[in-house]
Amino acid sequence: MRNSILKITIAAAVSLMGNIALAQTLAIKGGTVHTIGKQGTLSNATILIEDGKIKAVGQNVIIPADAEIIDATGKIVVPGSMHSGSHLGLSEISMTKDSNEHDAKKSPFSAAFDVRYGLKSNSIVIADNRRHGLTHAITQPSLSDGVFYGSGAVISLTSGADMYFAKGPMIANFSKAGNRNVAWGKLRLILDQVKYYDKNRSRIMKGEWPGDFLLSSFNMAALVPVLKAAQKLVLMVDSEDDIRQAVALKQDYGLDLVISGAVEGWKVAGELVAAKIPVIIDPQANLPENFGKVAATYRNAALLAAAGVKFAISPGGMAANHNAFMVNQVAGLAVAHGLDWDRALQAITLSPAQIFGIDKSFGSLEKGKIANIVLWDGDPLEVTSNVTHVIVNGVNHSMISRRTLLRDRYLGLHKEPYAYH
Amino acid sequence: MHFIKRTIIAVAATAFIMSTAVAEEKTAKDHGPLVVINKNPYPSTYAPFPSVMTVIKNATVLTGTGVQLERAAVLMENGKIVAVGSDLVIPDSALVIDGSGKWVTPGIIDVHSHLGVYASPHHKSMSDGNEATRPVTADVWAEHSVWPQDPGFSRAIAGGVTAMQVLPGSANLIGGRGVTLKNVPSRTREGMKFPGAPYGLKMACGENPKRVYGKKGGPSTRMANMAGYRKAWIKARDYKNKWDSYARAYNAGEDAKAPTQDLELDTLLGVLEGEILIHNHCYRADEMVSMMNMAHEFNYKISTFHHAVESYKIADILAKENVCSAMWSDWWGFKLEAFDGVDENIPMVAQAGACAIVHSDDPTGIQRLNQEAAKAWADGKKVGIDITKAEAFTWLTLNAAKALGIDDKTGSLEAGKMADVVVWSGDPFSVYTLAEKVFIDGALLYDRNDPDTYWQSDFELGHNSKGAHQ
Repeated sequence: MRNSILKITIAAAVSLMGNIALAQTLAIKGGTVHTIGKQGTLSNATILIEDGKIKAVGQNVIIPADAEIIDATGKIVVPGSMHSGSHLGLSEISMTKDSNEHDAKKSPFSAAFDVRYGLKSNSIVIADNRRHGLTHAITQPSLSDGVFYGSGAVISLTSGADMYFAKGPMIANFSKAGNRNVAWGKLRLILDQVKYYDKNRSRIMKGEWPGDFLLSSFNMAALVPVLKAAQKLVLMVDSEDDIRQAVALKQDYGLDLVISGAVEGWKVAGELVAAKIPVIIDPQANLPENFGKVAATYRNAALLAAAGVKFAISPGGMAANHNAFMVNQVAGLAVAHGLDWDRALQAITLSPAQIFGIDKSFGSLEKGKIANIVLWDGDPLEVTSNVTHVIVNGVNHSMISRRTLLRDRYLGLHKEPYAYH
Repeated sequence: MHFIKRTIIAVAATAFIMSTAVAEEKTAKDHGPLVVINKNPYPSTYAPFPSVMTVIKNATVLTGTGVQLERAAVLMENGKIVAVGSDLVIPDSALVIDGSGKWVTPGIIDVHSHLGVYASPHHKSMSDGNEATRPVTADVWAEHSVWPQDPGFSRAIAGGVTAMQVLPGSANLIGGRGVTLKNVPSRTREGMKFPGAPYGLKMACGENPKRVYGKKGGPSTRMANMAGYRKAWIKARDYKNKWDSYARAYNAGEDAKAPTQDLELDTLLGVLEGEILIHNHCYRADEMVSMMNMAHEFNYKISTFHHAVESYKIADILAKENVCSAMWSDWWGFKLEAFDGVDENIPMVAQAGACAIVHSDDPTGIQRLNQEAAKAWADGKKVGIDITKAEAFTWLTLNAAKALGIDDKTGSLEAGKMADVVVWSGDPFSVYTLAEKVFIDGALLYDRNDPDTYWQSDFELGHNSKGAHQ
């Protein structure tokens, strides 16, 4: 008994400190499992996890004797939630420069900026979001002085060196690009120039070049994979007109394009389907924040779903970092406004994994996938439900975070003298 | 409680004076009229919308006072709550709404909004919330920035919000007056002003004033923040003395000269006299305590700390001082002063017997304050803080009304109060539940099932179709 308590304490401490995460053989037993895969929803099912991966899912899974068993009786078991446009691991404090690894402002970098070098594995923000059921994410740049912000990363919320999974998409955003004519002109001209640059690289290196490229050579080099559709391009636009321009851009350059924002996406849903462009939306967006968002509506998700557009749900603003876990709540909000519950759960699990081409490893509870699994005490989209267990990369993580430690310190505020201990 | 009593007296006095710019009284010695500053030069012109006698029956009712009633009825007539209970005698002439499966609550009151002053569209020309040109701007009034055509108001009513306080931003140590509005469509600001509501005064602790003025002559430190407020209160005290001695001299029959009116000091004087309520943006526990000590130094009362992400650390002190905390359910970490935010802040404050409020400070959050309260309630429950849903709903209603000094008029379903009422599609402690009907002073101002009731601001006309946002 004493031994097992010690083990738990050490496991909790290790997990809290991050870094060392030991892959266990785990069996999650007895829960209602939403696989989001071919097996559908299984009651009283078992998920067996070995070496960080899902080894088996079903109602007749044999549990090895050495497996640590998590009793999921009465629990809802779902794939861990994914945020599709966060700054996780890149900032402990969002609004100040003191802790900001997510923008390339006032640097020579735009497209060549890559967030992978500044990731913080033992981030307090990551540990706290994991506790709330977020297990992996796209983390991405927030700003540069140009049209391109640079490359994001696919991360697992492990708190260890294994957090980096793969290079993520290239991000483009017009916020610093000038008016829409200037912005689209720049974007197309840059892509033309990258094409020229790629073809004539050796001549350019010898100094034989027009001399008026919009980007420096290293920023152009970073865009070559985008032009070859070997790296996805996430373009952050909202208005129906910008979305139509994006459709044309994809056709003209053969890009692997994802649109993020798409506040007016429902108005051009048919065009998105025809162009096979997936979108990432924030179902909270229902305010006409500018003339390009006058058609903003809570029903965007439901209308996109009805039209057959591939979409993922991710909240922005405050919920791009510290409150990234709000993906579940805003998926619920979309359900309140007409989206089917199953589609909403998909939109924060399998759909984003498919959109970013990582669905072989993430997004559903199926054999061979990375074991990113969350146990809930109720409906995972409901605001009164709580997470009871979070497994990331096969590790059953502690539910302690700096914020729960703070809470616990002040919960029993009856100890005199009143001070911090 | 003390400050609310004073407020009511102040409101009555204000109403008495409001008819003329300067009230005139003749004295025996005829030194000319006593100069009295008009405290209400922009009075409310709000009048309730037409209503019919209405009863909502067979509903689950949260009264806003911490009570939950099953299969109960709420009767409204002439804009007021007439009765609430399970065995009401329902007049034949009443319009009957079947509330089976529905929940009925008082209208939500958001004590911290910037609707109208940071309106949609968010263009620079519409950014009217922060007079960030000097650290003390007690002379500005948020109502003079409010754009009644902000499409945000129509979104807020679809979330069950019937009243709100619109505040200036937090750039300044003392940012100016806030205004309490009825959430109604109106051509004018005055048409939205909540009749008889006292003014608020926005103050701000911590990082924001430092950040804005650090390179513009200060304050650049928290100690200079404190010095800045104190200097302002000292000036206000002097101003009060001047007016007091003027009145004394005048009443003694002397040929006294009235002090020159000072807009900035008028507002601070209103605080010292208990007529204007302090709404203080403050995150950190240590700073909140300093602010309360400063209130003792200058003998005024703080109504509410806003944001208050560290209130859980001093919940006992806040309870003792009778100061409310208006909080988010789970926003944290966007600034270092918000880094210690915990999910259980609101229930921990409530558990200590202090006044807890859920606020939005956000045009999106204001549309689902019920969900934010639900999250906080569930987080509290998880750590053993046993609060009923009925008690938790006071965070959105009666406690908010207290903070704004309007709890004698609204904030609960009690006979005689304004019939500000929401019919929810189900349990409001759910992400799936929506406000179906919203009554303000008994008038049905929003009905999700009746597009005729949807509001479309002038700005939206020609841009979208009525109600398309929901």
